[in-house]
Amino acid sequence: MRSFFKSAGFKVLLAFLAFLIGIMIYAVTKGGYAVSGESFINTITKPFRSVSNNISMKIESSLDKMNNADKYYEENQELKKQISELNKQLAEYDALKEEAEELKKFVTIKEEHEDYVIPAPCKVLGYTTNDPFMSFTINKGSADGILPDCPVVTAENLIGITTEVSEHMSTVETILSPDLSIAAVCASSTGDYGIVEGSVASALEGRTRLVHLPKDNQLKKGDLMVTTGTSGLFPKGYALGTVESIGYEETGLSMYAELEPGIDITRLSSVFVITDFSGKKDYSDED
Amino acid sequence: MRIKTTREKRIFYIKGILRWTLYYVLIFFSFIIMTSGTWTKPILLIPIAMCIAAENNRYGAVVTAAICGFLIDTACGRLFGYNAVLLTIFSILISLLFELYLKHKFVNYILLTSAVSYIQCRLDYRFYYQIWGYEGVEKIFTSVLLKAWVYTVISAVFIYLIFKLINRFLMPRTHLTIEEAITKIQTK
Repeated sequence: MRSFFKSAGFKVLLAFLAFLIGIMIYAVTKGGYAVSGESFINTITKPFRSVSNNISMKIESSLDKMNNADKYYEENQELKKQISELNKQLAEYDALKEEAEELKKFVTIKEEHEDYVIPAPCKVLGYTTNDPFMSFTINKGSADGILPDCPVVTAENLIGITTEVSEHMSTVETILSPDLSIAAVCASSTGDYGIVEGSVASALEGRTRLVHLPKDNQLKKGDLMVTTGTSGLFPKGYALGTVESIGYEETGLSMYAELEPGIDITRLSSVFVITDFSGKKDYSDED
Repeated sequence: MRIKTTREKRIFYIKGILRWTLYYVLIFFSFIIMTSGTWTKPILLIPIAMCIAAENNRYGAVVTAAICGFLIDTACGRLFGYNAVLLTIFSILISLLFELYLKHKFVNYILLTSAVSYIQCRLDYRFYYQIWGYEGVEKIFTSVLLKAWVYTVISAVFIYLIFKLINRFLMPRTHLTIEEAITKIQTK
């Protein structure tokens, strides 16, 4: 052992280790952009990850259906009633036409919000391994005009924000993460407001949390919370989720509500990234 | 010194190239598995890096461990280079332990792989979750990371068997020359 530490080989290994630490430090200084080595890995493995993830998602989906058939049947019945009351168009939703529907919604968003700059729909390549907050990668990056801190949405719901952008791929942090804080207001007449901020316990159940709610709030189960747009980071009026339950914070000074996102964040196939919108603030200089 | 024939040399090179190609094919597929689906998955690249470190040339093993580390960083969304540094250090240690103190036995391999993946799991928890003080953060360790560690240890058994099979056919065997054999007998 002692001879090893004195050998030239040990010095070579130390130099290699220093080189790796150098890469790591360099990666820290990139501020949201992937280093070229990571971009290279992403570019090479992108098609394989896409195919493999499709297969895996189908298997998961089939197993999930088999395991929870009864539970899903009940949920389905309940949701059907709710959907038909709220929006008859959603009742016609067909899983087989999912991609075509997304494209239609893309056109709708563009028509309704002329100020939005949205690249073509982004495909979800895969979820980050063992991440309880369900961050995922999409198949578009800086080459498509995507920057760090761009809001990621579906037609009706806010999904999260881009955090790390490489040339052809980006990582998205979801609203389940405690690292993301979004000002939210109740879409109904009560006008109650709070901050949507994920928590560990909620994220493990696929939910997020509305915190800093005033004690005298009038929220009730089923109320829809939407973005306020005051931060300039997210556009106004995007759905964040519906209230599932309300409780007191540990301090007893304010209340919190469990929010059920309007879309299953663990089963996304495509999303949109809004690269610009009126009222957007640029935080890059402050970073 | 043992003199190798041209044919022996060629077989040695071909076997070496084939062996390393198979290693990298395994690494590639493990990475693809790790990035697919939303279920909790084993960090397959740790037992692979440890298997390579235990049986192969130290420098090749260290470089491979660094590559495996970079792939884990990409798959798990970690700081690029973080796991590469960790696996490089572990790879040097494992290589030294097997060279100087341990026999190439399954028990040794599985114990070391379990220890290495547990340390990686604890450090991951410490630096990516616990340090930020999320409420109920210990749930991440018990519900996600510990589960992933158990899966990694279980998968290490199968990875060991695959590597055993590859090495059985493609690992060059060390032969003694007549002179070496005589010297060995005389020293006994």
